[in-house]
Amino acid sequence: MATATESKKRTVRINGCVASAQAAKYADVDVIAAYPIRPYTATMMALGQMVANGELDAEYIVADSEHSQLSIAHGASSSGARVFTGSSGVGVQFAYELYSPISGSRMPVQMMIADRTLDPPGDFGSEHTDALSTRDMGWLMGWACDAQEAFDNHLMAYRIGEDPRVLLPQMVCQDGFFVSHITSDVELPDSGQVREFLPPYKHPYPLDPRHPVSHGPQIMPEQGPPLQLERARAMEESMAVIEEVHDEFAKIFGRRYDPWVEEYMTDGADVVFFMQGGHAVTARFAIQHMRDRGLKVGLVRLRTIRPYPTDRVKEVLSKFKVVGVIETNMGLGSVSSGGVLYAEACAALYESDRRPLVLSFMAGMGGEAIVLKEFYWMTEKMIEAQKRGKIEKRTHWVGFEE
Amino acid sequence: MSTKGTHIPERLKIPFAGITPAPSQEKGQDLFPTGNWRSIRPVYRDKLPPCNNACGTNEKIQGYLDLVKRGKYLDAYALIKEDMPFPSVTGRVCYHPCEQACNRGKYDEAISIRAVERFLGDLGQALPRDVAKAGPPNGKKVAVVGSGPAGHSAAYQLARLGYKVTILEKSPKAGGLNRGGIPDWVLPQHVLDREIERLVELGIAIKTNVEVGKDVTWDDLKKDYDAVVLAVGLTEPNSVRADGENKAGVHYGLPFLRDIGMGTSKVKLGARVAVIGGGNTAIDCAREALRQGAVEVTMITVEANAQEMPASPEDLHDMLEEGVELVHGRSVTAVLGNGKVEALQLHPARFSGAINASPINVNRDVPPERFHVDNVIIAIGQHASLKWLPDEFKSERGTIKIDRFGRLGNTNFFAAGDVVQLGSGQPLMVVNAVGDGKRVAFNLDKVVRGESLEPRTIPVDVIFDLNRMNMTYFPHFPRVHQAMLAPASRRKTQEEVIQAFSEEQAVEEAGRCFSCGTCNACDNCYLVCPEPCIARPARSNGLYKILIDYCKGCRVCIEECPTGCLEGVPELDFDTGVVRMDTAFAISPGLHGRQAEELRHLAERPAKSI
Repeated sequence: MATATESKKRTVRINGCVASAQAAKYADVDVIAAYPIRPYTATMMALGQMVANGELDAEYIVADSEHSQLSIAHGASSSGARVFTGSSGVGVQFAYELYSPISGSRMPVQMMIADRTLDPPGDFGSEHTDALSTRDMGWLMGWACDAQEAFDNHLMAYRIGEDPRVLLPQMVCQDGFFVSHITSDVELPDSGQVREFLPPYKHPYPLDPRHPVSHGPQIMPEQGPPLQLERARAMEESMAVIEEVHDEFAKIFGRRYDPWVEEYMTDGADVVFFMQGGHAVTARFAIQHMRDRGLKVGLVRLRTIRPYPTDRVKEVLSKFKVVGVIETNMGLGSVSSGGVLYAEACAALYESDRRPLVLSFMAGMGGEAIVLKEFYWMTEKMIEAQKRGKIEKRTHWVGFEE
Repeated sequence: MSTKGTHIPERLKIPFAGITPAPSQEKGQDLFPTGNWRSIRPVYRDKLPPCNNACGTNEKIQGYLDLVKRGKYLDAYALIKEDMPFPSVTGRVCYHPCEQACNRGKYDEAISIRAVERFLGDLGQALPRDVAKAGPPNGKKVAVVGSGPAGHSAAYQLARLGYKVTILEKSPKAGGLNRGGIPDWVLPQHVLDREIERLVELGIAIKTNVEVGKDVTWDDLKKDYDAVVLAVGLTEPNSVRADGENKAGVHYGLPFLRDIGMGTSKVKLGARVAVIGGGNTAIDCAREALRQGAVEVTMITVEANAQEMPASPEDLHDMLEEGVELVHGRSVTAVLGNGKVEALQLHPARFSGAINASPINVNRDVPPERFHVDNVIIAIGQHASLKWLPDEFKSERGTIKIDRFGRLGNTNFFAAGDVVQLGSGQPLMVVNAVGDGKRVAFNLDKVVRGESLEPRTIPVDVIFDLNRMNMTYFPHFPRVHQAMLAPASRRKTQEEVIQAFSEEQAVEEAGRCFSCGTCNACDNCYLVCPEPCIARPARSNGLYKILIDYCKGCRVCIEECPTGCLEGVPELDFDTGVVRMDTAFAISPGLHGRQAEELRHLAERPAKSI
C-alpha cells in the first residue's frame, strides 16, 4: 500500500483538474494510469508532480493509448490496487472496449472525466457526450458543477465503488474548462478525516500468484446471464450505499449533498431547468435574476445519472408545470432528436399522474458557454408552453432560433 | 428494482462477482468447461520415424537416440536390445539404411546413427550382466542351424521367449558371416566373442563343427526338436565361369575372408592382386588383400563406373583412400598362366539389364586386354549349399522356399537370413538378416503355441515430409564424424579403421535427432498451451494428456509441436468427450442442454412440425 504524506485541512484556490488530483492523493491511490488528452491532462500533470515530489507514493504508469490506460487500470485493480485514471473526449471513446470488462469483472476502477466535445472537428470545449455514451456500461456516473464538488465526488465514489455490496467502477465527471480549468476555493480536508471516511481498498480475490484464481475466463452462454444479473443487482443495490455514503460524508466533512438531485429555488416554481454539470452555476445566477423579476423558475440539477434515480426524478419533476432539459450532449436521432437526457427525464415521468410538459434545449454544445440571456430565452419558451398548456416544439437549438 | 425477486440457480452461481477458483484448484474450471468451442482436437499420435522404418530389424532408433540425449544410456541399450542382439556388431558393420532414410539428411546431414549404436553396443559389452534375460522356460526345444546374423538373432529372441535353444554351427567357431565375412579391422573378433558369450549366458547351447546334412540329418532335426530355424546363409562362392579359373593363386572372396577370420588361412598373396566384383565383399577383400601384403590391388568391375557399384559409398571411399585402383566395364574371360595365375584376360562388358544382377554382355569382338596379376580374388556373390534339404523346399533361385511368415510349408521348420533373401530384391546385409531372424522367431513361437499367423494390417504412417514437423525448432548443425585411422597407416594393420564415439560425441549426435513424428517429451505443448489444459504427471512420451473439457482447439500446441506428433483431428470424428457447441450438446442441462434434447429427437418428429 502506498502511503500519502499527511495534510492539514486548508482552503486553496485550484481548478477542477487539480482538485481531482488532490482527491486522488487524499485517497492514497496505488496506481495511476495516465495518457494525455486535453483538458483532463492537467490532473495527470498535477499527480505526476506529486509522485515526483514524494507527496504521493504510487505507481505512475504512462500508457501508450487510452485503451492501454484502461487495460492497465483493469489489471492493477484486479491485483488489489486502488486505481486512478481519466480521460477526455475522443480518449474516452478510444478506451470503450474496456468499460464493460472492468465493470463485468467488478473492479472499482475510478476514472476522472473532464468533458470534451467529440470530433468533428476537434473542439476543445465541453460537451457531456464523451462520458454519457458509456452510461450503460455498468459504471457509476455523475457530474460535479464546481471544483469542490469534484473533489468531494472523487472521495465518495471510491467509498461507494469499493463497498463489497457494490464493487463497480466509477466515472467522476466535470465539465472541461468550465470546471476543469477555472479556479475556485476548494477546502482540502485533514488527512485523518479522509482515513476515517475511506478505508483501504481490499479486493476479496485479488490476483496473487500465491493464491491463484481466474478473472474473466471464457464461459458458456448460459453462464452469461447470471453475470449480467449480478451486475444489474450491484448497480441497483448501490443506491442504498450511495445514500449511506453521502450521509457519512456530511458527518465527517460537513458538506451535505443530495446524492441524486440538487433543487435550487424550486419553491413555488412552475418551470424548472433539468441539467447536469457546471452550467448549473450560470443557471443559478439566471434564476436569481428571473426570480427578482417575478418569474417562477427553478433548477433541478441531476448529480448522479448512473444509477439513475428514476423514482426521485419522477417525484421532484412532477411538482412543476414545465421541465426544460438542458442537454449539453448529443443524441442524434434520439427520442427528442436532440440529446439523451430528455428521454431519461420523460421515462421517469411516464408513470407520474401529474406529468409536466417537457422541452429539450440543445445548449452548451461544442463547449460554448450558456450565457444568461440564453437562460432567459429558454425560460420564455417554458412559460409559453405553460400558458399554452402544450408544447409547440419538442426540441430547441438554443441560439439558432428566434 | 429490476433484480427484485430474481435468483440464480445453484449450478450457475459463481463464488464472487465474476471471479472463479483457479484452474489449478480442485474443481477450479468445472464451472467453465469451454471445450465445446472446439472444432479441432489435438491428439498425440506417434508416427513411425523413417529410421525405424528403414532399419532391417526396426530398431527403435528415435527412442534410443532420445534416451542417449538424456544420458539414459542403459535404458537406450535395453531398448536397442529388444530388436537387435548385438549392437556392438551392427554398430560397426551395418550399412545403416536408417541413415539413408534419416530426414535430417534432407536438412543438413543425416544423424550418425551407427556410431551411436556402437557407443551403446560397447557399453553393453562392458556390462558384467546383460540386460536381456531368458524367458521363463516353456519346455520346448528349438534348433537354430547357423550362427550368423539371422541364426544369432533367432536364437536370441527364442531364448527370451523361453525356448531351450541349441545352435548348430558347422565351423569350429560360432559367428557365421559376422566372423567369416567381416574383417577384423571392421569388427574385432573379441567384440563378436563377447556377443556369442551373451548367447551362452541366455542358456543357449552352441554346438560347433556340426554340419547339417553331414553330422545331423533333416530327420534328426525333425525328431529331436519341436521346431527348427534354418539360417545357414550363403556359403558357396559364385564362379566367374572363365577358363582357367581353377589355377593356383585364384581365391574366392568369402572363403578368403573366412579363413583369415577363423585363423586358418594359408594364403600368401603376391605383390599384384586383382579383385573381381563391385560389391561390399569385394571391397572388404581388396582392403584385406592390402593388409595381407599385396602392394598393388586393383578392383575389376563390370559396372561402368563407381556410382553403379552395389557398394556402400563410404566403404568405397575408404578403400580408394587406402590406394586400391578401380577398373570398370571389364569382365574376366580367362585366367592365364602356367599352372599358377599370371594374368587375367579382360573383355569389355556391361550388364544387359538396368540392375547389376542382370546377365552380363561381354564384347568379344575387340581384342582382349591382358592384366598381369599374382593373385586374383573372385568376389561376385555366393549361393547356398542345400543338398540336404528336401526338394519340395528348394526354390528356383536356389534358396529355401518359405511362405511369407518364413515357414517351410506346414512344418515346424522356419528359415531366415540370406538363404531366403537372396534374389528377393532385398539387399543382403547383416541387419536385414537380424530382422528376418527376429520375425521368424516370433512366428515360430506362434506356431508352436498353436496360434494362427496373420499378416500385420496396422497402417504405418512414416514422416518423410519435413513440413509435417516444425523446423523452426531445429537449427542447422553439422554431423559429428567418427575419427578414422590415417589411410597410410591403416593399410598394414588389423586395427579398427573407424574409431568409437566418446560419450560427449554420442550425446551431441543423438541431440541432433528430430524425433520425426514421435513425442520426445520436449514439453513444448505443455508450455505453449494458453489455457493451460495439457496435463502430464511426468515428462515422458505417453503421459501427456489434453484436458478436453477446456481445450478450445486453438491449435497452438499442434503448430508448436516440433516433431509432428500432435495432430489436429476434426471434432466430428469423435463420439466421446465434449462435443462441439454447434452440434448443440452441452454438459450441463442449461440452455444448450435443452436445445440438445430437442435436436436429439428432431429426426423422430414428423417433417411438418419441424
